[in-house]
Amino acid sequence: MKIAVISCIHGNYEALNAVLSDIDEQQADKIFCLGDLVGYGPNPHAVVQMIRSLDIPTCIGCWDEDIVEGLNSCECSYPSALAEKRGKLAHEWTNNQIFPETREYLATLPHSLREDNMCFVHGSPHSNHEYLLPTMDAFSALERVFSAGADVLFCGHTHVPYVRTLDAGNMQVRVSGPSIEGDKNLSFNAPLKRIVNVGSVGEPRHGRPNATYVIYDVDAQQVTLREVEYDYQATCAAIIEKGLPPIFAWRLARGLEYAERADDPTHVCER
Amino acid sequence: MSQSTITAVAGPPGSGKTTWIRQQLAAETAPVLYFCPGSGNVPIDQTCIAAEFSQIKTLTDGEESLLAKHLENGVSAYIELGFHLQLTTLENLLQAFPSRRISVVPPEIKDTEWHQWGDVIVEGIAVSGEVDKLSIWRSPASGQVLDPASLDLFWYEEMTQGAYGKVHRAKGIFDIADGRSFYFDFAAKFQETAHEELQIPRWLEGRPQRFSGIEIVGENLDKTALGQTLEDCCLSEAVMLNYQQQVKESLLLGEEETS
Repeated sequence: MKIAVISCIHGNYEALNAVLSDIDEQQADKIFCLGDLVGYGPNPHAVVQMIRSLDIPTCIGCWDEDIVEGLNSCECSYPSALAEKRGKLAHEWTNNQIFPETREYLATLPHSLREDNMCFVHGSPHSNHEYLLPTMDAFSALERVFSAGADVLFCGHTHVPYVRTLDAGNMQVRVSGPSIEGDKNLSFNAPLKRIVNVGSVGEPRHGRPNATYVIYDVDAQQVTLREVEYDYQATCAAIIEKGLPPIFAWRLARGLEYAERADDPTHVCER
Repeated sequence: MSQSTITAVAGPPGSGKTTWIRQQLAAETAPVLYFCPGSGNVPIDQTCIAAEFSQIKTLTDGEESLLAKHLENGVSAYIELGFHLQLTTLENLLQAFPSRRISVVPPEIKDTEWHQWGDVIVEGIAVSGEVDKLSIWRSPASGQVLDPASLDLFWYEEMTQGAYGKVHRAKGIFDIADGRSFYFDFAAKFQETAHEELQIPRWLEGRPQRFSGIEIVGENLDKTALGQTLEDCCLSEAVMLNYQQQVKESLLLGEEETS
């Protein structure tokens, strides 16, 4: 069986259409979506409609959550004052555009999805704000996959795709604390685990405007990172036409995201 | 009393006028002053020179009367003429005092008005862009404190890469959150920015009461977006005061540890 995993569409309907066509050509049996359907991009409602009409299992992204709950992220979730100003502006715009039924749909999205030995999350199993960067230390990365109870963890949020294999090995953990008599030693064998970051359909940050997603062959356990060209100029035109800041279009055309990526991989928003 | 001399320096943007003047100032032993007419309320070069050469007197627009007074008192002057000024701007002054005219001109251009005007032609550095297509955007930022991460994004990833029009030359002085002031200097011909900390005390007591600002020379500049983005890089009063408090505590801690 082949599955396609998409993430971070961010209201970019042109990119979503191109990716869905590519998925069709790849003959995937099922599609999973890791959230961030809305935010920054010019067509949030059309994107949500498309995802809903295709009945694609989707987990909630940080932007979807913000639209449901209102923007109340802690300040440290923005890497700079400029990113914060742009983020708030994009939130306000999206919030004004979104239809009530779209908001209601976003509110129904789960934090994670499971299928066999696979888990699907937006950021990490701990938080849809946490960045699982490829440079995260191996122990923490392994802990994230373990906590998901899966062998393959699919995530997005960073907007840069990667595949990380965590080799099998023995793990020893010593736990001590006031309620524990003496130290408690735990030892167990960790089988091979994988983290697959699927990148971003609608807001890439790999230096090119092309959309990225992943095809996973479940039987062969083979990951294929797909990069799809699309008419990004149409999205850029829509950004400007709909009154979003022109800098969003400029950045999209260069594969730089509309804003910028938070650079603290360990940050978990406490709210 | 010795007789004052005016050294008037002109040339296209980015050709190295200020650099040439700084080299001369470093070698000066007698009192001299520096004046860059037309800088308005964005005296970037004056501020840098004042920070680098404590013995050099600098004048800003509106202080022209002081210039004549200094010259009459025998103080020599370096006067930098931006490309946007007529070369005849200083004519009366240059005729009233002993003077020399230096044209700092890139090697690739010939037979320009600068070649005609200069007594001495200094070979400058290559520049980008045709002068008659260029415009200037300037904005003071005095009193503002910038978030360093935002400044990096604005300067390195967006402005110098063409997000707000084609930039040929950019200079700026910015106060940042830890109280320091930095000078940024970009030349498109070399695709690089030099930046250095100005040797002036940290400002950690509220809004800085000293100059900061930006000057950009380029084509099709989106001045509204530039102004808005720069404003968005600035910290709010509360955040600025919070940073200043943290830096003061950190500096105090450092002093205690070393004592």
